[in-house]
Amino acid sequence: MLNMKKFTTLFLLMAALLPVAAQVQYGTEQYAVRAYAGYAHNTTYGSYGVFDFGGFMPINQHFEMQADLRLSTAGNHAFGVQLRPKFTVPVGEMFIEARLLSNLYKRDGYNDFTQLIGVGYRMDHVTAIVGMSTRIIMETPYDWHSTQSMIVEPFNICYKIEAFICKQTSPWNISLCATNITDYQIERVWQPMFMATGLYNIDNHWQVNLAVLCKPTGMFHLNAKYYGSEVRAGFNYNF
Amino acid sequence: MKKTIILSSIIALLCACNPDTWNLDVTGMFSGSSAGIDQRVEDSFDYNNKNGFPHIYATAESYSVYVCTDTHVDRTRDNWEKFIQAYRADAGCPLALHLGDLVNAQNHWDYMRRPVDSIPANPTKKDTLLVVAGNHDLYFNQWKEYVRLWKTSTYYAIVETPAGKQDLYIFVDTGEGILGKKQTEWLRTTLNWANTQAFRHIVVCTHTHLFKLDSSQGITSNMPLEETYALLHLLKQHKVEMFWCGHDHSREVTNLGSMTAIIIDALFDREPQPAYLIATMADAPIDYRFVKP
Repeated sequence: MLNMKKFTTLFLLMAALLPVAAQVQYGTEQYAVRAYAGYAHNTTYGSYGVFDFGGFMPINQHFEMQADLRLSTAGNHAFGVQLRPKFTVPVGEMFIEARLLSNLYKRDGYNDFTQLIGVGYRMDHVTAIVGMSTRIIMETPYDWHSTQSMIVEPFNICYKIEAFICKQTSPWNISLCATNITDYQIERVWQPMFMATGLYNIDNHWQVNLAVLCKPTGMFHLNAKYYGSEVRAGFNYNF
Repeated sequence: MKKTIILSSIIALLCACNPDTWNLDVTGMFSGSSAGIDQRVEDSFDYNNKNGFPHIYATAESYSVYVCTDTHVDRTRDNWEKFIQAYRADAGCPLALHLGDLVNAQNHWDYMRRPVDSIPANPTKKDTLLVVAGNHDLYFNQWKEYVRLWKTSTYYAIVETPAGKQDLYIFVDTGEGILGKKQTEWLRTTLNWANTQAFRHIVVCTHTHLFKLDSSQGITSNMPLEETYALLHLLKQHKVEMFWCGHDHSREVTNLGSMTAIIIDALFDREPQPAYLIATMADAPIDYRFVKP
């Protein structure tokens, strides 16, 4: 039988072999890969490094895929796949956001697997997503003989609203985003994150990216304080 | 456009007319007004260093602990008074706990505290009430009021039976949804020490819940995921038997392998189904039941 360690290794290997994920660029129909590195900090782990890889695959006019892999020196790794059927509407584009995300909290002996389904809308200066997710939380190594090694948070509301300074197709852009979903984490509804992203197309193939994320705690405890932050930079390569 | 502005103004006016809206420190969503967790832990340590930790003596090998949470005392305090009367009347109860959100908002601290001092003690026994801060006890800069009346929010207490068996209760402050670095280190050190002693039961008591598996009653803010897993790991690694918390207002019992996490109902007067928990501490695993006030 496939044990949890082998399963995780296989899972991460598959992730590494997949072409890597890029930020979705509205209007882009090119395959793209990306690699980012970053510094992160939160009050639970202290300082740690993150290394992100991803691939963006526009399968056809109505369907795109994205795969994301994060390796972290804090021992908190993530692998996700995003499937996005999309439909052009008179103004902008509607899409279905379907995500599968696995987070391995190796330092704490837990693994969670989150499924998200939502609807999204993007136009020149705005992208918005609203959906729901379910999280399965498992101890690692998983005890197959106990029902108490796994619990399920069945319902969570997910949202993302991102506003861009320029049109999403322009060669440079800056965006501001409030969300509880990133490519590497699907947080609970009451745990928003705030992100600023900048991108610049060096030429037809290379794009440089910089993202800053801030994660407060206690916003809906009405006693908000700093919890964590992250700065990451890297390149996208469009084929 | 004109209609939208008028409608928005009416809604804003209605909100402003609702006294409950005044009880929400909306600015706290962006910057909490009370001291941050590390400073609060320092304040608690200052008190602990000067006064030590509570050591309580039970009169029998089996005793009861009364646990309530989320009284949100404001204009009324009926359930809170009933809770105090109940644990004081129980000759087998040396310890009562309140897991935070003592008051709903500012200006009710003395009103909330008064029954603790005015309801007559039971002459046949001694009992102790211990509390921990919740988020409602922090916003509007209320930590100062909490400290004035309740002194500490990060500490432990030991209950000792006549035969010398001891149960450990650890209180951690999660009023803003995290433990913070200092408190996490203190909790780790305390649990390491606890595992070298022969405690009969180890219980961790706090305000904010770890998980919410039943969404039928709504979902409430809890800790960031990283903090949730780190805390759960720490508790399970150190053989904590139970994790008692509140915050969510609706009961939930989750078996997490060797540990049981219990979200206890709110005791808020305006809660449709208020309840508190009575735990029986004996040589056997902890037994508990929920009681309506």
